Amino acid sequence: MIEIGELKSGQRARCPRCNRLLTSHNDEATSRALAFAFAAALLLVMANSFPFLELQASGLEKTMTIPRAGAELYRDGHAVLAGMVLVPIAVLPAVILATMITLLVPLRRRARSSWLVPTGRLLFALNPWCMVEVFIIGVLVSLVKIGAMATIVIGISFWAYIGFVLCFIAAVGSLDRFQIWREIEACQA
Amino acid sequence: MSGVNSPAPETAASRGLACCHVCLKLSPSTAHSCGLCGASLHTRLPDSRQRTIALTITAALLYIPANVLPIMSTVQLGNATDSTIIGGILLLIHHGSYPVAAVIFVASVIIPIAKLFALTWLSWSISGTHGVAHRQRTRLYRATELIGKWSMTDVFVVAVLVALIQLGGLLIITPGPAALAFGAMVIVTMLAAESFDPRLIWDQEERQHG
Repeated sequence: MIEIGELKSGQRARCPRCNRLLTSHNDEATSRALAFAFAAALLLVMANSFPFLELQASGLEKTMTIPRAGAELYRDGHAVLAGMVLVPIAVLPAVILATMITLLVPLRRRARSSWLVPTGRLLFALNPWCMVEVFIIGVLVSLVKIGAMATIVIGISFWAYIGFVLCFIAAVGSLDRFQIWREIEACQA
Repeated sequence: MSGVNSPAPETAASRGLACCHVCLKLSPSTAHSCGLCGASLHTRLPDSRQRTIALTITAALLYIPANVLPIMSTVQLGNATDSTIIGGILLLIHHGSYPVAAVIFVASVIIPIAKLFALTWLSWSISGTHGVAHRQRTRLYRATELIGKWSMTDVFVVAVLVALIQLGGLLIITPGPAALAFGAMVIVTMLAAESFDPRLIWDQEERQHG
């Protein structure tokens, strides 16, 4: 058991046994997470609204958007696979961003609110299941695989999604579980 | 960095306190739920070892159909060709795409197998009273937790190929049953890693020191 006490901005606490980072205190963390969360939300909407990739081969064309890719898998009888792909790359990130904004806006104002605890629990429970950065690697591998047989046109959504991943990682990375819960505790008291 | 042989630090458990798994607040271990967030309170994750072992076995079983069955099927001018995960890697090597072949090999073969071995060894190693290399085992656990989701790469590749390559009667790609088995395996190994409580490794040290 260690007494962490009050940390100043920029101070860190590590476990004396296994040396794992326990908390990295930063006074600006909440504002930064919120800013990146809004940016990520906007980019995620863009990434879902425009063509992601376009395939051209032998005079035929096929455009892919993220929601349509899921819808087509579902229509062709691959509902579970559609869920397995769409949930970790688009649905969960959207839920996490909404949760993050709902939690951090009142927390930043030190406002007492009844949804701080449930949103906090939801946020940290869902976090490990997002695979947005893994999807980027998957797309890059697909591009190499298809590149040999057809022409690929990269759409606006592709770039929007890359921007979304960067902002999303920055937003989630600014969240410190220990610090957030201590702030919730201070608001509840 | 303090040495591994230094006397064991006082722990919350030895003072009759339990740390909440959700919000990290300390409460008396006699309480049933955390006073702050309401999560149920345990000194250690309940049945951690049994759950990890059960989920690891499930994942190992799912890994078999994931490799034996086709992950996708290419229908070109009416002729269907099935390909497995390994078959896909061999094809990439054949075409000279070594970096991509390496990415898929690491994500679909090395990481899942390494995770299964790591979880099995971690669960086995916490059974005795004389544990070794606590710090290294803790680090192995953190690595297992961190790399888990990267195995999903191949499932995403299949999804993108299926979504994109739909050229009527000319060329169509459809997903195979292995995609489902492989995705399920990744999820089950992630659950297995989540149900393992790394503090069980350090409990051994306390038992050693008496």
